[in-house]
Amino acid sequence: MGLVNFLVYLAIMMGIYGILSLSLNLQYGFTGLANFGQVAFFCLGAYVSTIVVLVFKMPFIFGLLGGMVVAGLFGYVISIPTANLKEDYWAIATLAAAEIVRIFFLNEDWVVGGGPYQGGSFGIGGIPQPLRSLFSAYTYPFFYLAIVLVCLLGAYIVINTLTRSPFGRVIKSIRAGDNLPQALGKDVKTFRIKVMAIGGSFGGLAGCLWAHFHGFISPNQFLPLETFIIWAMVIVGGKANNRGAILGAVIILIFYNSTRFLKDFIPIEEVTLASLRMVAIGILIVVAMLFMKEGLIKEKKTLY
Amino acid sequence: MTFAQVVINSIVRASELTLLSLGLTIVYDILKFANFAHTEFAVVGVYLALFLNVTLGLHIVPAAIIASFATGAFSIVVDRAVFKKMRSSTGIIIMVTSLGLGIALRNGVRAIWGADAQNYTVALQKPIITEYFRITPLQIWIILVGLAAMLAFHFLLHHTTLGKAMRASSDNPELAQASAIDTEKIITWVWFIAITFASLGGILIGLETYILPYMGFAIIVPVFCATILGGIGNPYGAMLGAMVLGFAENFGLYINFGNIINLGGILGFSKELFIPTGYKPAISFVILILVLLIRPRGILGRKKEG
Repeated sequence: MGLVNFLVYLAIMMGIYGILSLSLNLQYGFTGLANFGQVAFFCLGAYVSTIVVLVFKMPFIFGLLGGMVVAGLFGYVISIPTANLKEDYWAIATLAAAEIVRIFFLNEDWVVGGGPYQGGSFGIGGIPQPLRSLFSAYTYPFFYLAIVLVCLLGAYIVINTLTRSPFGRVIKSIRAGDNLPQALGKDVKTFRIKVMAIGGSFGGLAGCLWAHFHGFISPNQFLPLETFIIWAMVIVGGKANNRGAILGAVIILIFYNSTRFLKDFIPIEEVTLASLRMVAIGILIVVAMLFMKEGLIKEKKTLY
Repeated sequence: MTFAQVVINSIVRASELTLLSLGLTIVYDILKFANFAHTEFAVVGVYLALFLNVTLGLHIVPAAIIASFATGAFSIVVDRAVFKKMRSSTGIIIMVTSLGLGIALRNGVRAIWGADAQNYTVALQKPIITEYFRITPLQIWIILVGLAAMLAFHFLLHHTTLGKAMRASSDNPELAQASAIDTEKIITWVWFIAITFASLGGILIGLETYILPYMGFAIIVPVFCATILGGIGNPYGAMLGAMVLGFAENFGLYINFGNIINLGGILGFSKELFIPTGYKPAISFVILILVLLIRPRGILGRKKEG
C-alpha cells in the first residue's frame, strides 16, 4: 500500500469517525446523555444499508437514507424507557441495547438474504461500492473520500445549526439538570428522545459509509470497544464543541494508526501492541477527565 | 436438562453474581457513581490468582484469597490516584473516568497475559451425580462462598462500627461528617471490601469456566442488571437481584414459551418455542431494559429525590 493510498484511507476513516464523534457530541457534549451504545447506530446503519443495497437491489442513496432512518428510529425507541432516568441508567441501558443489536445480527443470518457462509458470524461481503465502475482502482478512493467529506460537512452543518438554535439552548440547559428547562415549561423527555434520534441517524450515516467502503461487515466489527474509541474522541477533542469533536477523531485515528508501524521498530507482538494501544486510550480518557475536562477546543460560552 | 439441574445452575450463577453486585452497589451507595471499572478490577484479581496458582505453583485456595486481598488493596491505590481528585465532580464525570480506567485495566491484563483462554491448576474433582442432577464440588463451594458473603455483609452493615458509619454516610454524608465520621476512611474501606469480593467472584467464575481478559466485560451487564434490579445502592437488593437474574438466565432457556402462549392448551398453539441459546447473553440485557421501563428504582429501591 503506497503512502498516498494510506493517507486517503486514513482521511476516509477520519471523516467517518468524525461523523460518529459529532453524533456522540450532540448527545453527550451538548445534552449530557451518557450514551455508551453509540456503536449500535453504527452497526444498524451498516447492516440496513447493506440489506437495502444487496438484498433489495436498490441504489446506494436509498441504503444511506434507510440506514439513517432505522438508526434514528432505534435511537427514538431506546430512549423512551430511559428518557426520565439519571445518567448512570442511560449508560448501562444504551450499552445493553447496543449488545442486543450485535447479538441479533450474530444470530439472525437470514436478514442479509441467506445463503451459505453468509450472515451471522460469517459476516457479509460483496457490498457494492457506489459508482465503482466509473473509476479506476486508484482513483476510486479519492471519489469515496469526496462522498465522505460531503457527508461530514452535511453532518457538521446540521448539528452546528441545531446546537446554535433555540433547540440547542434547551438541550444545553438539560445538561445542567432538569430543573431549569422544566421551570421554563420544556418537556425534557421529548428533547432527550429527539437528541437520541437525531444523533442516532448520523451514527447510522457513518455506518453506511463504513460498510460501502470496506465492502464487508460482520458483527465482530461492532464491539462495545468502538463506542469507547468514539468517547475518547469527544473527550479529547472537546465536548460541546463540534470542531473539537472532529479534531478528536483526527487525533485518535492518527494515534491509532501510527502505532501500527511501531512493530517495525521494536520487537513487539501484534496482540500486545493492540492491547497497549487500548491501554493508552483508556489512560488518555482518565487523564483528560482529570486535568483537561474541557478537551482541546473548549466550548464556546455564549451569553444570551 | 432436568428441573432440579436448572435450579442448581441458577443458584450457582446467582452466587457468582452476588459477589460482584454487592461491591458495585456499595461503591455506588457511598461514592454516588456507577463504576464501569468494577468487573475489570475483578479480572485483575482473576489474573493475579492465575499468576500465584500457575506460575508460582500455589494451591488455588490461598492463591484466590491473596489475589483478592491484593486487588482490594490495588483499588485503594487507584482511588487515591484517580477518584480522590474527583470527589466533588458529578456522577457522569466520574463514571466516564471509570470507563477509561476499565479499558486500561482490561487491556493491561491482555498485554501481560495474552488474549488466549487459560485455566487454573486444580485437581480434577468428581461430580456428584444423581438421577435428577449433577453438581461438582466446585459448584457447592461457589454456593457456600456466596452465602458466606451475604452473611458477612449483613454482619458488617448491622453489627460493626464501620457498617453503621457506612449506612450513615450513605443516608446523609454531611451529617455523617458533622458527627465525626471520617468519610475518607470509609471510602477506603468500601473500595477494599467491594473489590475484594468482586475479585473473589471473578475467580470463582474463572474456576467454573475459563479465564479470558474479556470476561470482565462479558459480565458487566448481568452485574449491573442484578444491582439495578434489586435497587442500586442497597446490598440486600443486590443479593435479591443476583438471585432473580441467576434464575431468569437459566430458566429463560428452559421454559417452553409455546406452552405459555397456548395458555396450557386452550389456544391450540402447539409449537415448541424456546429462546435460542445464542440469545442467552441478551436475556439479562432485556430484563435490564424492562426494569428501567417499569420500576427503575428496583425491587427494594427507595424513592429518592432527583
